[in-house]
Amino acid sequence: MTTTGQGMPRGAGAGQLTQAKASARGRWRIQARMQPSAAWRSVSILAALLGAFVLSALLIASAHVNVGTALGVMVQGAFGSRGAVIETLVQATPFILTGLAVTVAFRGRIFNIGAEGQFFAGAMAAYWLATVLRGAPQAVMLPAVLLAGCAGGALWGFIPGVLKARYGASEIIVTVMLNFVIALVLSFLLANPWREPTSYFYQTALMPDASYLPRLVSGGRLHLGFPLALVVAALVWVLLWKTTLGYEIRAMGINSLAARYKGISVATTTILVLVISGAIAGLAGVGELTGIHHRLRLDISVGYGFAGIIIALLGQLHPVGVVLAAIFLGALLNGASAMQIVTGVPVALVNAIQGITLLCLLIADVLARYEIRRTAGND
Amino acid sequence: MSVDSPSQSGLGSPAGNPGDEPLLQVEHVSKRFPQILANDDISFSVARGEIHCLLGENGAGKSTLAEVLYGVQRPDSGTILFRGLPVTLSSPRDAIQLGIGMVHQHFVLVPPFTVLENVIIGTQHQGLRLDRRQAAERLGGLCTNYGVNLDLDAQIWHLCVGEQQWVEILKAVYVGVELLILDEPTASLTPQEVDKLFAIMRKMRDDGLSMLFITHKLNEVLEVSDRVTVLRKGKLVHSVATRDTSQRELARMMVGREVDLNSVREPRTPGLPVLEVDGLRVRDDRNLEALRGVSFTLRQGEILGVAGVSGNGQRELFDALTGARKPFAGLVRLAGREITHSTAAQIADLGVASVPEDRVHQGLVMEFRVDENLILGKQRLSPFANGAFLNQRGIAAFAEDMIREYEIATPSGGQVTRVLSGGNLQKVILARELAREPQCLIVSQPTRGLDVGAMEYVRRRLVAERDRGAGVLLISEDLDELFSLATRIAVMFRGQIVGMLDAETASREQVGLLMAGCESTV
Repeated sequence: MTTTGQGMPRGAGAGQLTQAKASARGRWRIQARMQPSAAWRSVSILAALLGAFVLSALLIASAHVNVGTALGVMVQGAFGSRGAVIETLVQATPFILTGLAVTVAFRGRIFNIGAEGQFFAGAMAAYWLATVLRGAPQAVMLPAVLLAGCAGGALWGFIPGVLKARYGASEIIVTVMLNFVIALVLSFLLANPWREPTSYFYQTALMPDASYLPRLVSGGRLHLGFPLALVVAALVWVLLWKTTLGYEIRAMGINSLAARYKGISVATTTILVLVISGAIAGLAGVGELTGIHHRLRLDISVGYGFAGIIIALLGQLHPVGVVLAAIFLGALLNGASAMQIVTGVPVALVNAIQGITLLCLLIADVLARYEIRRTAGND
Repeated sequence: MSVDSPSQSGLGSPAGNPGDEPLLQVEHVSKRFPQILANDDISFSVARGEIHCLLGENGAGKSTLAEVLYGVQRPDSGTILFRGLPVTLSSPRDAIQLGIGMVHQHFVLVPPFTVLENVIIGTQHQGLRLDRRQAAERLGGLCTNYGVNLDLDAQIWHLCVGEQQWVEILKAVYVGVELLILDEPTASLTPQEVDKLFAIMRKMRDDGLSMLFITHKLNEVLEVSDRVTVLRKGKLVHSVATRDTSQRELARMMVGREVDLNSVREPRTPGLPVLEVDGLRVRDDRNLEALRGVSFTLRQGEILGVAGVSGNGQRELFDALTGARKPFAGLVRLAGREITHSTAAQIADLGVASVPEDRVHQGLVMEFRVDENLILGKQRLSPFANGAFLNQRGIAAFAEDMIREYEIATPSGGQVTRVLSGGNLQKVILARELAREPQCLIVSQPTRGLDVGAMEYVRRRLVAERDRGAGVLLISEDLDELFSLATRIAVMFRGQIVGMLDAETASREQVGLLMAGCESTV
């Protein structure tokens, strides 16, 4: 064969080894599921909750608290009474709105990490307008304040939108930085110009009564913001799946190149997405301001904007999913604080339990997309 | 190991030589994927010193079979015998140790390394020191033997596609494979490079190497192979000596019915200018000048072909004409109206339809439903929109019409687009683009990767558009396609049109030489 001398040294001996190495055993393989069914998804969520439950129980036991009592109190605190249910919904209200804000953005693959800042921008604009309109009747005041909140949030979304559309600036970085900017602006305003003169705290005076969101039930804090959030959820659904703009947002989100080739203006759509997303987050800010606190403080949000990201992802970027995820998170928060009060479990543990639960859900969500299969050996 | 008879094969009948069992025997191999039976009870054999073609449409199971033979996939059942002994191939490493090599469609070379380094990567098992001198000598010998002219110290990224492929082949030959699997090796080569590749393949065959050559191009089968095995929908249709078959018969076996890919060009008198391009200059994504003054006129009722090896400005031309990329100099007129700086949406509204080269990324939103994709770009027009809202009824009715008219294989318009086959994806795009009877149609690589049936369909549609009076600009790397469809062929090289030929009188060699930008390639 090798008349040329350096032709092709055939791997004569090497092959025999491999031929002898015959394996009769099958192999376990992980592969992506073609299309995970709804039932399978539900099972995975239940499994995640079970996992979270077990881990949380271990944590609670490690703090020398009776696990049964603690978890019982937690469920009681979340759903055990009319008051508990109402408070859960109160907690869920800002979560629903920030979750929806993030959903709109993520559907267009715009990573708005600035819902927190837009939340504050909305609240600040609403507070400012309420003081300007002091003395106006509720019928004027309430819609004006709500719109001002949307406008404030929208403005705080417009800035990263324009920077991305015009100059290609990463919306992730810009929105994160704007969170700091608005927080520092608010600190400044609360330290001096807007500070309630008589107060020791960094907070404004109470807003005019006409700007308060009406309470819906006696003896609870549930306010108009909750049904409003549900209406916004419905509107977001209509926007995304029933309007031409929503079509363009989704097209851009899945394949911006194809969208661009087919004449969809990616720049305009990007700006619109961030404006809408910001407006919804801003509305969340007004809701907390005029529904709960009635005055502007630095702690009117305890990370609602960031929680919105988790909720949007847990809710599969779908308005219905977002509402469910928000209520779940509201219940978790509410139940955990009840547990803390009754059993004296440390705050850190409560936060850890929330974190564990969310992690378990997110892990399950990823795992549910794969399956393990046994592949046959071929002998 | 059996004693080789140095130059037995040639056109000799593979199984007929006494005392010489086939090099590779595949017996009843099946491989199932969740949605599809990719290989269904396949049995065939490859003789020593034979070029064996594996022919089939996309999705026929060729690549899966190749992956099974190279140890990438494990078969669900069946036996593979190599040199008469049953083997288990759990990984490409096993395959290489046995003496089975593979040249992939997409090369797996290390661009900053030299030719020599790429060839000897992973071959030196003793010690850490590379014996470059000895390796260079052996590799140089191989090159001389096969008539390959390669600078062994050149870095890979300096080489053209054809040369990179030789490196891939040399890599396999260097480690001493007995069976070389070539997966669609001609996909990105110029005609001259293809000729050169075939010459090398014949030389290797005469040296006793066996090759399994995977392709869906019939003329290549006839030109280079000794034996051909045809697959269709995962099943083996026929395994036959190449000289005993014909292009027509192979096409029928491959598709399962009679097909006609030619005879669509007929002389016509083109009408008024539709698209006038004058001195067009465009930059690419790296801000380099990709189109350096392109001028041509496309007329009504004409198919103007654009030939060229990919990367010579065709993409930028497509982008500039459809509004996806802004030219920095030059002029584009559509039916007398200037559209040089119009947006993609404006150009589409004026009656320019386009079929991009990359269906999946440029043409479709894969996670959308089929009916949603059918209106992409027209979502704000009646009857698909009603003010700011989508008109679901209008969209559904349109989708139903298009699915019927274009025979798109989908259960309904509500099906997610992702699951459609390549041919059906292209039909979705064609349906969308042709629905409004455009006056100008700009298509790029319209049949790339399609099976013969779909290819025939797409070409018929393009001809129908031409006959309706539309001007069609056909950008393609497939010379067969250009010669069978186009009236004139413009050849692009380095951002310029280096030749405008009459398809009736031009020869393939002429086009090939212009594509290579000089008199000789190799």
